[in-house]
Formats: sequence, C-alpha cells, structure tokens
Amino acid sequence: MAAAVTSGPSGDTSAGADLIPVTVLTGYLGAGKTTLLNRILSEQHGRKYAVIINEFGELGVDNDLVVDTDEEVFEMNNGCVCCTVRGDLIRIVGGLMKRRDKFDGIIIETTGLANPAPVAQTFFIDEGVRARTRLDAIVTVVDAKHVLARLDDSHEAEDQIAFADVIVLNKTDLVTPQELADVEGRIRKINRFAVIHRTERAALPIAQILNQGAFDLARVLEREPDFLEDDAHEHNDDVTSVSFEVEQPIDPEKFNAWIGVLLADKGPDLLRTKGILSYQGDDRRFAFQAVHMIADGDFIGPWKVGEPRRSRIVFIGRNLNRPQLRRGFESCQAGPVS
Amino acid sequence: MSEQATAGFAVETRGSTQELGAFVVAARFDRTGRELAFGLGDGTLRLVDPAAPAGVWRPANLHDGAVLALAAHPVAGFVSGGDDGRLVHLDADGSAHEWAAFGMKWVEQVACFPGEKGLIACAVGKTVHLFDAAGHKLKELVHPSSVTGLAFDAKGKRIAASHYNGASLWFVAAKTDSPRVLEWKGSHIGLALHPEGEAVVTAMQENALHGWALPDGKHMRMSGYPGKTRALSFSRTGKWLATSGADAMVLWPFFGGGPMGKAPMELAGGDGVICSDAAFHPREEVVAGGFADGLVVLADVNSSRILPIAPPGRGPVSALAWSPAGTHLAIGTEGGFAAVVDLSKR
Repeated sequence: MAAAVTSGPSGDTSAGADLIPVTVLTGYLGAGKTTLLNRILSEQHGRKYAVIINEFGELGVDNDLVVDTDEEVFEMNNGCVCCTVRGDLIRIVGGLMKRRDKFDGIIIETTGLANPAPVAQTFFIDEGVRARTRLDAIVTVVDAKHVLARLDDSHEAEDQIAFADVIVLNKTDLVTPQELADVEGRIRKINRFAVIHRTERAALPIAQILNQGAFDLARVLEREPDFLEDDAHEHNDDVTSVSFEVEQPIDPEKFNAWIGVLLADKGPDLLRTKGILSYQGDDRRFAFQAVHMIADGDFIGPWKVGEPRRSRIVFIGRNLNRPQLRRGFESCQAGPVS
Repeated sequence: MSEQATAGFAVETRGSTQELGAFVVAARFDRTGRELAFGLGDGTLRLVDPAAPAGVWRPANLHDGAVLALAAHPVAGFVSGGDDGRLVHLDADGSAHEWAAFGMKWVEQVACFPGEKGLIACAVGKTVHLFDAAGHKLKELVHPSSVTGLAFDAKGKRIAASHYNGASLWFVAAKTDSPRVLEWKGSHIGLALHPEGEAVVTAMQENALHGWALPDGKHMRMSGYPGKTRALSFSRTGKWLATSGADAMVLWPFFGGGPMGKAPMELAGGDGVICSDAAFHPREEVVAGGFADGLVVLADVNSSRILPIAPPGRGPVSALAWSPAGTHLAIGTEGGFAAVVDLSKR
C-alpha cells in the first residue's frame, strides 16, 4: 500500500485548542527522566496532569493522576511494516476521558529502551485518541556523560534523539566543556532540528518542555534548521538529518506521488519527515509531516507578504541518500525544473 | 427519519430522566430487576428503583476516579471496577465492600455469572481475577497481554478473554489452568460469547470483527465498519449478533450458514450518524440501539419496524441495558444524561 496518509493527530489544525496536549518523555536508562518528571510534577504550576508510567518510581504526586501500564506495542494490520502503536495508550486515553475532572495535559514516560515511534504513531492512527488529544512534543533526556557510549552500542538511544523535538542535555556538570561540545556535535549530526536545553539534575522551567506544539502542522518547521551541508554520512546505518529547499512552486500531484512512494519504500528508515511547501497557484502554506510511513498534511495560514515562498523539507533517518532525495524533491517543482 | 419526529419518543411518555453530570460508563439492572445502577465517570453509582423512577436516584460513592466497569452481582447488588484500582461490591443493603485493590492498575473489565454459585471475574492488566459470589478469590488467569474483554458462557463453565493476537478460553473449574488460545494477529479490543457456545467474536482495532466458530475454531471475519465496534450483543438464542460502529445497527446472522458469506442486516440507518451502542432484548428479537447524536431506538428484527425511544441532543449514547425480564430499558450518554423507560405492556 501507499503511505497511510491520515488527517493527523490534531485533525484540522485550527480545531486543536480543545484537545489535551500529550508530552512524550523518553531517554535512555539513567539519563534523568524520573528526575525531570518529578520536577514537572512538583513545580507550582496550578495545572493537573495525568502521568502514564511503566513502573512506579519515586514520584512526588499530589495533584496528579499516575497510571501504571505495561507498554504494549502491536502492529496494525494495514500493510505498513513499521506501523506499530501502543494499545495500552489507546485504552488509557479512552479511560481518562470518562473522568469528570479534566486534565491540562498528559505526560507519557516511556521505558529507557523504548523506540518512540509506536507512541507517536498512536496519536496519528487511533481515531478515538485523535479525537481527544494532540501529540505536543517528544522530549528526550540525554545523559551528557554516557550518551556517546550508548550511541555506540544501542539503536534505541539514537532513535530517541532522532525523534526528539526537545532534548534535555542533562548532567552537564559531569563533563568538561570540550566533552559537552562533542556531545552536542554528535546530537546535531543525528537531529539538527531539535531544541537543546543544557541542564544539571534536569533543572529547567517546564515551559520549555510542555506545550511546545512541535507536532502542530502550523509550527512544523518553526525552528529554522541551519542549512549546513557538512554531513558526510549519507549511506550508512547512523541516523542523520538532511534538508532541502527549492525556489519553484511545488506541483501537489508530483509531490504526493513522490512522497507516497518514498514513504512506502523507505518508511522504516525515515524516522521523521517534515516540510513546508509552496503549492503552485495557492497562497497558503502546505505543511507536511510523517513518522515512518504515517503521514499528515494540511494547508496552514497564508504566506506572509514579502516572505520568500520557498519549499523546504527535512528528513531524519537512516541510510539517507542525499542526492537521490534532493533530485526527488526537486523533481516535484512545477514546470520546467531549473 | 421524519417518521420518528412525528411518532413521539417513548422516553417522554414512558420514561423518567435525570442529568447526572458525568459520563455514563455503564448501566446495569441487578438480578432481581428491582434496582438499576448507572456507573459514572465521577466514581459514583446512581441507584434507582425502575418501578418508581420518579423517586430519588441515590448516589453511592464507590471509586476515587471513574467507574470503568459495572456488573450485576450474581445474587443481588452490583460489582464495580474503577481507575482507582479497586473492585467493589455494593450489596443489596447499599453498603460497599472492597474485594480487592490493585494500586495504580485499572480494573477495566468486570463480568458476572448469576446464581448462588455465581462467579465474578475482573481484568486488571494481563490478569483475570476470579471470585466466588461472597468475594473470596478463587484463582488468577494470566494472559500474554492486557485483557480487553471478558465474558462467561451461559453455563458459567468457561470464561473467555480477548487480548492482543486473539482470545483465551478457560475452563473455570479446571485443576490445571491452561486455556484454549484462539489466535488471530492484531489487537482485539472487546469480546462476546455466543449464548449456545457456538462462537467467540471479538472487535478489532482495525474496525472489523473477528470470530472463531466453536468447537472447530474456524475463522470468521466481518469487516466494513467505519468506526470501532464497542458493543457486541447476541440475541437470546444466539441467532443474531447486534453491533455498533457503523451508521446503522449492524446485525450478523448466526444461522443458515452465517455469518460468513451472508450480508448483515442494517437497522435504523440512513442518517449518517454512527451507532455507538446496541443491546439485544433478553427475550424477544428486538434490539435497542444508541447513536452518537443521542438518538435511541428499538428495532424489531423480523419486521424491521423502528420505535423511537429518545431524541438526539444529549450526547453520544454510551450505555444501554435491559432489565432481566425485558420490561425496562436504561439509557446513558457521555454527556451525563440518563433515563429509564418502562416498555411493559399496559
């Protein structure tokens, strides 16, 4: 089958206001997830959260609801080989909606070894979950001291950084400035689009974690990536990120045909894809994003007056063939290709 | 359905209604039929005498959170499970007894088999806990993943549970516990047992039903639903299975070689509104259906005649229940509207 294009976790992006924001908290074992969670929950923010965890850590929870669950990942029978979702989350979100007291947000803590894709895909795929919640951001806690070793020996640590919208680079007090710079450089190679916050003992204002709107189509590429073309890793198993920009308007039919085949073909390697497109003959920006094969796209507001109507797309994944992706994207331009 | 607008709704002439202020998760009549309970998202049960519904609807505070599952106790009263991790028996005198507490794990399913030697089962994560009618724990049945649906057979000999990749069928009294596992890849999210033991049917994540004919285990696949099926309700003899999840009540024929290769009967459709609940009458071939706009109707299976019960506008119908004799129908919605309708002959 082609890429399973849905109307997205928040459906119409303008209707997202009533949907409960969901923050996914990932991070390798020992990185400081529980410390961060405790900080979020103990801060005097006057909000009420439902926190979904896998095992009861030492959580200081007074106001909030903690739900203990087993991560239950299963494959959808829809032909997408990488289309996995968290069944336990579907049930829990359904159950939370029955309570009279409503929540300001839901925070999902994943296990240290978890791949973030099934959690993210759950918020694209399940109709009941989509009707009531919106995926806000994936926040990954990274241990500055040990992450380089983890990246060498585990795919999971790499995936967690690749999927992140926000990276909490923790335990910075345990490394030298040079080591910290090296770690940041390595993170940037994997994911050059995430916001990085440096912390000690996971201390940072929760405003930098919650309500990021990172999966909101209207903000999908709000953070301008740096268009450095310095990436030598084009054809190996490391996760990298690449981005392309074209000047000519995009032909929607060509783009749909190209991206559909690409996601169906390379979906397992493409962790996240995001784009803002200028469609030929349309004054609105078209936003596009995907997690593996599961894609979502919609028109968002008009291009601003005087704003250059350049189309941009970014890929974060493995085995990214830069020339091929570039040629593919460029061939989506309307009219004669420059 | 202009016909219905002129026909008048039974809830107005034969019903009693309340605004309960919280999501109605389930409605159940107790075994005597003299008490009706609505289980709510605020953790309470609201109890009413169906014969005198104009009286007080008494609250019983059972859970700190939401009621997630409710069943009639095998003899009298009710058993409820909540997202506070507790399984509670509300006895006929109105006093509550905690039978079990599971911490931060939710009690998501409760099923009862009636009678003095009745049984109660609840599902907490992967484990089904089995109790006798007095609340003594009998055993635990462990599954490969979380249990999403639970049902006793008509004799109380077997219990079926749905989970990922299929369903498990256990003999309740077996000395050594090993289930018959009915396999089908995917996420099964609810279950019903044919009253004559001829089939197990599950609802699936992918908007379809799966079934296994018993005893041979032959697969059945019933698809075409635009939404998830939440309600699976067999008629008394098992001739029909009524289901929600489409823009009509969808009834599958379990006779004449069906349901495979047979078209289902669709009742009360045509408005483009999804059927959110369905419940077969305990005796007659009459089925109650509730819709996402709040409409509730009765449909006579043999004549396809539709009797309007409650008008749209009160939120998606989330609970439908018949009294044991089939004289009263209880209705609840996500918006907190509840009603009991007297449908006995006058």
